[in-house]
Amino acid sequence: MKRKSKEPVKSPLVWIVFVVVFAAINPWYFPAGSFEPLIWGVPYWAWIILAASLALSVFVTWVVCCQWDMGADDDIGDDHGQDHGEG
Amino acid sequence: MESVELAFGGTSGIVVLLAYGGLMLAVGLITFLRNRNIHESLDEYYLGGRGLGVMVLFFTFFATQYSGNTVVGYPPTAYRIGYQYLVSVPFFIMIIAVYLFFAPRLYAMGRRFSLLTPVDWIDIRFKSKAVTILAATLMLYALGNYLLEQFVAIGQGVSGLTGGTIPYQVGVVFFIVIMVAYSWLGGMRSVAYTDTIQGIALLFGVFMLLIGSVIYFGGPSAAAEVMRSEAPEKLGAPDGGGVAHWFSLLAIVGIGAAVYPHAVQRIFSARSEATLKRSFIRMAYMPFITAGVVFLVGIIGIAAFPGLTTGESEQLVGRIANALALENPLFYWAMILLFGGVIAAIVSTADSVLLTFSSIVSNDLYGRFIDPQAQEHRKIMVGKLIGLVAVVVLVIIAWYPPSTLYQIFVLKFELLIQAAPALVLGLYWTSLNSRAVFIGMLAGTLLASTMTFSGWKPLGVFSGLWGLSLNVAVCVIGSLLLGVTREARAHAVEVIGEY
Repeated sequence: MKRKSKEPVKSPLVWIVFVVVFAAINPWYFPAGSFEPLIWGVPYWAWIILAASLALSVFVTWVVCCQWDMGADDDIGDDHGQDHGEG
Repeated sequence: MESVELAFGGTSGIVVLLAYGGLMLAVGLITFLRNRNIHESLDEYYLGGRGLGVMVLFFTFFATQYSGNTVVGYPPTAYRIGYQYLVSVPFFIMIIAVYLFFAPRLYAMGRRFSLLTPVDWIDIRFKSKAVTILAATLMLYALGNYLLEQFVAIGQGVSGLTGGTIPYQVGVVFFIVIMVAYSWLGGMRSVAYTDTIQGIALLFGVFMLLIGSVIYFGGPSAAAEVMRSEAPEKLGAPDGGGVAHWFSLLAIVGIGAAVYPHAVQRIFSARSEATLKRSFIRMAYMPFITAGVVFLVGIIGIAAFPGLTTGESEQLVGRIANALALENPLFYWAMILLFGGVIAAIVSTADSVLLTFSSIVSNDLYGRFIDPQAQEHRKIMVGKLIGLVAVVVLVIIAWYPPSTLYQIFVLKFELLIQAAPALVLGLYWTSLNSRAVFIGMLAGTLLASTMTFSGWKPLGVFSGLWGLSLNVAVCVIGSLLLGVTREARAHAVEVIGEY
């Protein structure tokens, strides 16, 4: 039986965006040793890395919201019909 | 490793630690009274009945990822290498990003087969005694070392917080007794609830540390002026070697921490897919206010305490906290709470590790190979007792740290990630050959261990990653060469083919 599901690992778009963002969070594209301009005392490249890191967090949000729907709990209701309370 | 000395700690420190210990015990007791049946079921005891909600699940993931070491150990590194340690922010996000590539399916498998531990999954997938036992051994060994590291940190933290009033050994024993007591009483539920309290204490303390540092020592601008004149390399973008180091940290932490057995177990504990998803989204933004904040504290330290040697810089957080505590009563108490929070964070990492250790013993070794007919109550009891024996042995080791063979206690990440191919590739590839998986895991382990012992780190890339590369290569090439039997493939299709 094939069930309808959405899995991040199967989406080429997820992989492409991940590779791009991963490349951006590695500081290979700055001239070694450069730090000017400083903005509020923080080197320009550190701001760019932080922005890229934020992009990674946004990527996670996007994948979780739009690319992940396994319907993993669907059959649980059928099999056990119970809702687990919390402690 | 030097401990953090807080001269002001003394009695107030003892009061905070006792209050903290009492609170944890109370949580364990209340959980026990409200859930009398948890000792009859492995699911209830080790996974909180697979019913953890968003907030609790979030904080228990949080406590598993961020230990006291994040607060005490990261600022000194930022102090020494400057902005190149900014990597600590993206590497915590990477852990969550890596989850996205296997957690959705692993969670689904967890529900379908009622999986209790990562070894459980490996066993169902490969039906190979050799693979199961090797994976369980690697995990137990690495978890044991991880626990040892936390014990040593508890002792040092306690004696530091109380200015030596409570000796190292007393601190270790006190907190371990409390930890074992509440874990035994309430299992995963108490561990997760205490994780929540511990996480909040830590977040509060870290923020107060940052605010105080900015007020009294100046923000990053003051630090930048010092670095510009004295050590411009701490401001500059990394060179080739620095980029390689950055990359391998991202890779090893991202993959390694995502397949931590205690982290994987938390995937199984989620109440529902939606709960797990919401916790992941929250976790993805936490690094900015945890790793980012402690990083900034280290940078501010450059201006506050210039010219510390490596050994002295290890006590950076203690020095900053001391200085802030002398400024006004608010910060005095905030810093006491900070160190209480640091110890709390170490305990909360240790309790998760201990619980997972016991669950692997209960379920994967005793329950699978020694006495499969045993009642769940008995399996839980065996896991608890062997966990206790392990704790006692580790405390003795923490008490008398061995002067030789020291490195066998260092191996953690290097070994844990060798289970990743079986865990992750096994989820997707039906032609994965179990013998190739076994040989790959063994070869990766031997290579990573040998490289760690000899200190060999080609291209600046960590030994664990070299081991993992060999491991994956053996798995893939071996499976392609050996192929799989018709039955093995049919079994794999049956297990994972639904997706």
